Amino acid sequence: MRKSKKILGRGKARRENIRGYAFLAPWLFGFLGFTVFPLFYTFYLSFHDVKMTVLGWETNFIGIENFASALLRNIEFTPALVNFALMEIIYTPAIVLISFILAILLNQKIRFRAGFRVIFFLPVIVMSGSVMHQLMDTGSTEIVWVGQIFIFKIIHSYSPLLARVIEILFQNFSILLWFTGIPIVLFINGLQKIDRSLYEAAQIDGSSSWQSFWKITVPIIKPIALVTTFFTIVQLGVFPINPVNSMIQDAIYNTAGGLGLASAYAYIYSLVMGLIILIAYLLLKDRETVTVTTVKRGKKKKKEKEEDFLYE
Amino acid sequence: MSKSETKVEVKGKFNKKLFLHRLRYKFIGYNVVDGIGSRIVTYVILIAISYIFFYPLLKMASMSLMSPNDIINPEVDWIPENISFANFKAAWYVLEMPKTLFNSIWYSGTLAIFQTIVSAMTGFAFARYNFKFKNFWFTMVLISFIIPLPIVIIPRIMLFTSIQSSTGIQLIGTIIPQLILALFGQGINSAILILIFYNFFRMIPRSLDEAAHIDGATALQVFWHIIIKLSIPTIVTVFLFSFVWNWNETYVTGTFLRGAIKLLPMQLSAFDNVFSDLAPQIPGQASVHRINEAYKMAATLISIIPLLITYAFAQRQFIEGIENTGIKD
Repeated sequence: MRKSKKILGRGKARRENIRGYAFLAPWLFGFLGFTVFPLFYTFYLSFHDVKMTVLGWETNFIGIENFASALLRNIEFTPALVNFALMEIIYTPAIVLISFILAILLNQKIRFRAGFRVIFFLPVIVMSGSVMHQLMDTGSTEIVWVGQIFIFKIIHSYSPLLARVIEILFQNFSILLWFTGIPIVLFINGLQKIDRSLYEAAQIDGSSSWQSFWKITVPIIKPIALVTTFFTIVQLGVFPINPVNSMIQDAIYNTAGGLGLASAYAYIYSLVMGLIILIAYLLLKDRETVTVTTVKRGKKKKKEKEEDFLYE
Repeated sequence: MSKSETKVEVKGKFNKKLFLHRLRYKFIGYNVVDGIGSRIVTYVILIAISYIFFYPLLKMASMSLMSPNDIINPEVDWIPENISFANFKAAWYVLEMPKTLFNSIWYSGTLAIFQTIVSAMTGFAFARYNFKFKNFWFTMVLISFIIPLPIVIIPRIMLFTSIQSSTGIQLIGTIIPQLILALFGQGINSAILILIFYNFFRMIPRSLDEAAHIDGATALQVFWHIIIKLSIPTIVTVFLFSFVWNWNETYVTGTFLRGAIKLLPMQLSAFDNVFSDLAPQIPGQASVHRINEAYKMAATLISIIPLLITYAFAQRQFIEGIENTGIKD
């Protein structure tokens, strides 16, 4: 009896494996062939001189030449990269914070709630690189010219750095808001899943709404904040407000520099991107649950962590 | 009993503390939600933010109706002095309008169909089967979303160009490279689409397909007859997202098409250059001026109108679709 059950179980596991991988196959091959392989191949290319010949692609090893020309010889790449990093660092917290606040406001029982949500989501549909480019080009995104506001001048005289940050924020404030479309929906979705009775219990225990917000809402929302942060970082990289993307594209088209140089660009860019994502992860990861699982589960810690990541 | 006592007390003499407390309650409320004051603040913020959201679109609509004189005139801020539709005529012509529109529709439509099918299969695999390394691959789906496009696109280009030159089949400048990418689940934002399907499929009770299995249905039959038919709304949502994203995508499309098929967003990004070539030929306009903001905005407006129409009919599907990417509680 026991034996037959075991065989049945094993058969089932095998079937699950076969069927699972059968459905997964297209994605799996695509992922390995069009994402994992290119990831390594771009790395290989970045140390080579790549030329299109009659016989196909020809690669010659040239060491770190491409990286040298990217970082030292090309005077445009490094500033573009710095601009990109600055933009990510300034825009991302702003976008996540604004969308969180808007989500809280929209989560209340107010009129025209659906209408506001429709408005805030509209940019997700409309926003494309070319539309954004045209809007910024014609100055349709500049709502206020902060340089002329009195308070800004005061700030500027005290701290030029802060003033610069504010200037960057407000330069394309509409465009910045246009990135909040999906984060708002994610945040609202998270807020609605919080059990109301938690707040009631806290209120009975004498917690003010301010305290409840910090002690209940914020910790529960944190994983969602992490996801929206990742999403925002990625999205900011895709659109033409990111100067590096267009540089890489130019390098791809440009036959003189070749694809090797473009690969070096792409790798440096991706490293910066990865670094920003890592910083975001370290800042927002849930420390408490990790420590709890370490204490409680001991050996299962690693698996738990993996699962945590999935659920985030 | 105690309740009525306090009431009496309040009536008897003016209790300042209680009065302030009530005022606070009325105005701010306990839950930040119910006070009149906080409500007004909420509306003010929401309306102000909505205005900023709409500002570029309003500006675009207003500018697109301006004559060249209005653009230069500093007194004209929002409402043009003499409304002209000439800009639209010119933009329509330069965008090569009906043709590019139809191109965009079939191009994004085809990609969206394949992307939807593959995302559904992948989502189904993750939602239904316990295969080995499932968690690992699922994490990979999420990670694939983070990997920047520039880093993977160069080998993709090399691959397709070398296939093209060795077999003689035209690939660059056709839909085929992107079709292959979509077919293998590597299209734009595939990870999000897979997540939407994954979360939906998990909600369908397993007993349904177990019953079908007992009746002798194959896995593919179960997938087709039970799962797909139950999830038509989700399929529509994913298709719409994929359609819109493919429509708006210019990075990969530009790299593989190189302008061989004229799509609406591509034509819009080339608008400034094409304008000077085509403007003299625009029929019915005696003197077309140099390119200005009005033409650009008219072109931009034309290019997003199809999307606005889609959104008007399907805004619920779009918003609910993102909700279904389901960050789980």
